[in-house]
Amino acid sequence: MNSNLNKKRMLTGNKAAAWGARLAGIEYVPAFPITPQTEIVETLSQWFADDTLRGKLTNMDSEHSMFMAAGAAAATGVRVFTASSSQGILHGLESIYTVAGWRVPFVMVNVSRALATPITLEPDHNDVMATRDCGLIQLHAETCQEVLDFVLMGYKIAEHPLVSIPVLVNLDGFVLSFSREPVVIPDKKAALEFLPPIKPAQPVFRASKPMARASAVFGGGTYTYFRIQQDLAVRQAETVFNETAQEFAERFGRTYKPIEQFQMNDAEIAFVMSNSFATKGKSAVLKLRRQGIKAGLVKLCMFRPFPRKAMAQALSGCQKVAVIDQNLAPGMGGITYPEIVTALYGQKNRPGKILSVIGGLGGKDIREDDFLSIVEKLSDTESNMPLYLFDEGDWNQFQQLQKIALV
Amino acid sequence: MLRIRLHGRGGQGIKTASQILGTAAFLSGYQAQDFPLYGAERRGAPIIAFSRINSDPILERGPILLPDLLLIADETLLEDAQAAPLCGSDSETVVFVNSAKTPENLKEKFSLPSLPVTCKLTELCLKHLKNGMLRSTALAAAGVRLTGLIPFENLMESVEIELEAMGITGQPLKNNLELAQEIFEKLNPRTIKDREERPLSPTKLMIMEQRDVKDAAPFITATGNMAQRKTGNWRIHRPEIDYGECNHCMICYARCPEGVITMDTEGKPVIDYDHCKGCMICAQECPKHSIKTLWEMDHELEPQ
Repeated sequence: MNSNLNKKRMLTGNKAAAWGARLAGIEYVPAFPITPQTEIVETLSQWFADDTLRGKLTNMDSEHSMFMAAGAAAATGVRVFTASSSQGILHGLESIYTVAGWRVPFVMVNVSRALATPITLEPDHNDVMATRDCGLIQLHAETCQEVLDFVLMGYKIAEHPLVSIPVLVNLDGFVLSFSREPVVIPDKKAALEFLPPIKPAQPVFRASKPMARASAVFGGGTYTYFRIQQDLAVRQAETVFNETAQEFAERFGRTYKPIEQFQMNDAEIAFVMSNSFATKGKSAVLKLRRQGIKAGLVKLCMFRPFPRKAMAQALSGCQKVAVIDQNLAPGMGGITYPEIVTALYGQKNRPGKILSVIGGLGGKDIREDDFLSIVEKLSDTESNMPLYLFDEGDWNQFQQLQKIALV
Repeated sequence: MLRIRLHGRGGQGIKTASQILGTAAFLSGYQAQDFPLYGAERRGAPIIAFSRINSDPILERGPILLPDLLLIADETLLEDAQAAPLCGSDSETVVFVNSAKTPENLKEKFSLPSLPVTCKLTELCLKHLKNGMLRSTALAAAGVRLTGLIPFENLMESVEIELEAMGITGQPLKNNLELAQEIFEKLNPRTIKDREERPLSPTKLMIMEQRDVKDAAPFITATGNMAQRKTGNWRIHRPEIDYGECNHCMICYARCPEGVITMDTEGKPVIDYDHCKGCMICAQECPKHSIKTLWEMDHELEPQ
């Protein structure tokens, strides 16, 4: 066998997620199918069937039950994994809020897919942004390698005694979920040393030991106390992420930070992006530089907790910033844009211009030429509107379809 | 960077072909990426997949707009405006078509940008796999050979890895390896030069204006417009009614899931070949076995 194959293997983003869960020694998976995450659960199902994994995979009747089952199982102190996407994660939203408040550690993967209406299968980030305020930790992956590593790191962060919060790992549907690229699969023994079997840091459900962990509270004060604790725990996850990343780098040689800086040393213009389209952004940055434009890119790897300080440091001193949101909050614009502007408020060297860009919705490509359009727009006078990446070609295509659709 | 775009139909193994290419390149020490583009498609519908091969890390994702090598699994795709397999190709693009026609003939018939490379893959699949349907191995082997980057043994290993992952082992795997070998030996590598970097030029972004809700929300008021989508070229098999045998029992008419069999004024069933997708349920259901199954693309091939 070729030596290249011993170290790396061609994996899709979905397979990489399954491998992360496998190396974490997951014991329970509640599942419900939805494109484009199905391959993850399919792969895990095969591994449970052939005894590669010991434990149980249960097909649930909906995502609402699925996330509830994930939380309930995690409350018994076993290592739990689950995955969903798009309409599925929205259907489970009530359960996600609920189990996050239980403060149970587990890892869920969201394979990003745009939301109805109109319905589509292709990616954007409105689904994962809908879980923004649920009280989850969110890690967003650009490559298949990051998917695997973030799932593995995710358990370590989720199970940390000061955190005890579910971790969501996000990857783009199609563009990453179905793309194969070489991925290093960590050695099983090394993975086990990094992530030993789960030792719950909190009381867990046991037979004949009655306990409750979802009490009703009234009057507001007690409610507020628990909510503040949740906020503090999610914030704490940034420190825990950094510690975990350091140990991960020592063991596996791959370094991760809450935000990644690409060509930012002398950048005058910065693009802020996340997930797999950041790869396109990096390529555009290199091309822009060859055309004499000092561009750079800041990639948001951790979205919750929001790495405010790191973001402010990365963008301070840069004259112009374009925040590219592959999501849309109608009536407001990009969802990460105001968070980034907030992070920069009060900074002495804050950028003179921060532009909100809406692109890559519903699988629409962000082309390299679009980045030059963004650069040009950054020199324009102020406008309160975001820049929509929708060009004449898109318009012509739409008009052709409209002719067929309407009498 | 070598950018390969594969066009085929659901069921022909186009995704797997892109993966065999990707793994073969990876085994040869290259950076590789492969990616299929499909969602709600089904057997016979046009499918696209991509493979990227590079010495340096690949900073691209998603569809390939400017292909260096086009692998077309089925010449009927060249007539399909929605599949548009030639889209983005230019005179530098090496075009491969699975066809029994001569390259000159194909170039003229479909106004190709250059003289294509052809090979009768369907016939070779019939010979080695006893099945005249194109398989992933055949198209991948053609692609691997044309790149000239990948040694023969890495193609063999890649076919083994990818087919075994799908549970194909033993004799069927051996047959696939023999098929790959024959195609590899039949074709010659082509010189595919690295494209020069095109400087970025800004896109013409629209200034968006609000429109009336009837133009702003996803209405469809033109009912029955599905018929505009001709799905006849999705067929791999073609049902043909033997009217000498047919007793007009109407079972094919009742069973056709697409509703493309109608009864004419004499009570005979008639197939609408513009829309028949070739599922062959009619042939299965016909109690008198008077519906024949023919190969759509190569009529000289024997009925199954």
